[in-house]
Amino acid sequence: MPRRIKSTDTEQAVGRRKFLKAATLAGTGAIAASAAAVGAAVGAETPPAAGKKSPVQITSRASEQAAPPPSLEGATHTTCGSDFMVDVMRNLGIEYVAAIPGNTFKGLHESIINYGMLTGPTLEHISCMHEEISVAISHGYAKIAGKPMACMMHSTVGLQHGSMAIYNAWADRVPVFAIVGAQMDAAKRRSYVDWQHSVFDGPALVRDFTKFDDTPISLSHFAESANRAYKFSMTPPYGPTVLAVDQNLQEDPIEKGTVANILKHVQPSPPRGDDAAVQEVARLLVGAEHPVIVADRAARTPAGLALMVELAEALQAPVVDMYGRMNFPWRHPLNQTRAQAEKIGEADVILGLELTDFWGATNGRLAPGAKRISITSGDLYLKANYQDFERFTPVDIALAADAEATLPYLVEAVRKLTTSARRAVFKARGAKLARDHQTALEQSREAAAVGWDAQPITTARMCAEVYEQIRNEDWALCNGTVFQNNWPQQLWTATQHHQYIGDSGAYGLGYLPGATVGAALAHRKHGRLAVAIGGDGDLMFTPGALWTAAHHKIPLLYVVHNNRAYHQEVMYVQMMANKRNRGIDRAHLGNAITDPNVDFTKLANGMGVFAEGAITDPKDLGPALKRAIAVVKRGEPALVDVISQGR
Amino acid sequence: MKWASVVVAIFSISLAVAAEQTGDAANGKRLFMTVGCYECHGTTGAGGGLAGPRLAPNPLPFVGVKAKLRTASGRMPVFSEAVLKDSDIADIYAYLQSIPAGNSARDIELLNR
Repeated sequence: MPRRIKSTDTEQAVGRRKFLKAATLAGTGAIAASAAAVGAAVGAETPPAAGKKSPVQITSRASEQAAPPPSLEGATHTTCGSDFMVDVMRNLGIEYVAAIPGNTFKGLHESIINYGMLTGPTLEHISCMHEEISVAISHGYAKIAGKPMACMMHSTVGLQHGSMAIYNAWADRVPVFAIVGAQMDAAKRRSYVDWQHSVFDGPALVRDFTKFDDTPISLSHFAESANRAYKFSMTPPYGPTVLAVDQNLQEDPIEKGTVANILKHVQPSPPRGDDAAVQEVARLLVGAEHPVIVADRAARTPAGLALMVELAEALQAPVVDMYGRMNFPWRHPLNQTRAQAEKIGEADVILGLELTDFWGATNGRLAPGAKRISITSGDLYLKANYQDFERFTPVDIALAADAEATLPYLVEAVRKLTTSARRAVFKARGAKLARDHQTALEQSREAAAVGWDAQPITTARMCAEVYEQIRNEDWALCNGTVFQNNWPQQLWTATQHHQYIGDSGAYGLGYLPGATVGAALAHRKHGRLAVAIGGDGDLMFTPGALWTAAHHKIPLLYVVHNNRAYHQEVMYVQMMANKRNRGIDRAHLGNAITDPNVDFTKLANGMGVFAEGAITDPKDLGPALKRAIAVVKRGEPALVDVISQGR
Repeated sequence: MKWASVVVAIFSISLAVAAEQTGDAANGKRLFMTVGCYECHGTTGAGGGLAGPRLAPNPLPFVGVKAKLRTASGRMPVFSEAVLKDSDIADIYAYLQSIPAGNSARDIELLNR
């Protein structure tokens, strides 16, 4: 049975380090005690093995099962289904649960705050203002933590709120462990609202864009499905899963004699390409005169980033980064992203690694006879309805495999096939690419200088000013950069996997505020400076994420790229109006976020977040950022509102 | 026929040069903001990456700018005579020409990190 942590205030009064230490010790005891209990309860099972995660099976608070079952309402449940569910989740390594309350999961809610947060290993509740934020927090967290956290949503309306964010996670191939409440027993629905908030098959709403869902009807069933959900969410291609958890299953006491086992969890190894195909790919790459490596979500982990560098350097081949993840150091001489069209145009072999859109990356640029190779786990799992799989691209070799898991074998094969003669060719190629990289860098800098002192502030100046304040810190950028012209990639130096996590996946607005809070939550224990540069329109979707950051003291710097419009849509309406010869002087209607201008400083202040702005003069930006970062270093969020150019 | 083409070309260039010389930069700046150029190209023509290329300083020749406006493709909206007169284009061009070059990146400390 997990031990109770002595402190009752886990959020503020206790120093975090001390608290975590206590939790860890308590958790150790919990696992040991429970292991002994299981032996007695279910007989011999697989013996515990050494490793990071305990493989033992533990029963839920076995010693308390003799207590008389309390009534369904009002009584204190010392032994209940949702406590067991908490144990299942933390046995999977889940540390946080993000949620806005909903009565269909009030049993789980109570178990998390009074059991999960007070016993170890802790399962901490993150308070949210919207289900879309809860899911987005889980999305951003997973990209840094490398594992899912949980989020809970109310039945029907809660999941409906969260569904777009689930689609973002799906398209971004990110694991999210989602739980939605359910009241399956019609006789126990207490009011007309309960009926309106009941659904026979709740997960159907998101089944098109989740990897697994289930509605377990017993605690053992929950344990199995939770393990299965976690396993599938973390098997490439990663993705969200949903469990609909019956209210009564959560709230009912565990009857005497009932034994529900928490199951040993073993994560399958990711699938790698077969040896023959890897050898053929290596042969083509080594023999190519102009190979190009194009990567989108190739580096799932820091090891993946290191492998990308190994492969590129072994071949002295250019890398084009589609910026789905931190695939390659931004200032590496072989990084040729800024010359994407040119490099792909001259390529004789193109290696696409976890490309979501191979067609888009190469279409119209391919040289005649160029060989295309794809390594992607996307070929292993596909659903039909939503079309995020992009346009079909014929390739010459396709490995249905995880790129990162395949890279060690590919690197090895390339090295073995590389003769001294080829090595000399590679060396010359690398030298030229290094010159190209430097030229591109200088061109980017000159482009950034144009309009340097302009008002509204250029996106180049905004990004350069941010970098000036963070470049000597262990910083981590939490946003995709397409709406800032990828200036960070053009002007900053980034070498670590955690320094960039890509974008939303499906361009569903409202992603960034929550995802930044989630990423910053994962960065917090490492002491990193989490930074996001995000649009005003995006922030207006889900500003409540700022409150969560303030409430939980999650340090992050949020820079508002405030162009006072849903900018991209202005262009589209312009195009439509001109096509009809009606002029474009009214294209701002319905797109501009003006009259009144949004005061993001007041918005942030109103939720307890320090804020600077609105900054209109570029000379004021650096000092404002400096003051905001001082607040972030104290462990709090801060926002800087920058009145900026559209792009 | 060939001579006729040359004459037309010379005439067009002459008109273009005349337009460049007669454009009203102040009105051009107003138009640049109201007809939406700045949305993709920035208020100073600095460009917006994927959204729109750099237009200033040192804009392309007037003939090229006008042709692009009249026959745009892709993300760039077409500006027909009905929505943007030749004289308006001349004014916008005058505004683009009036935008100073500014500092080189070498002179900006933050761009040398």
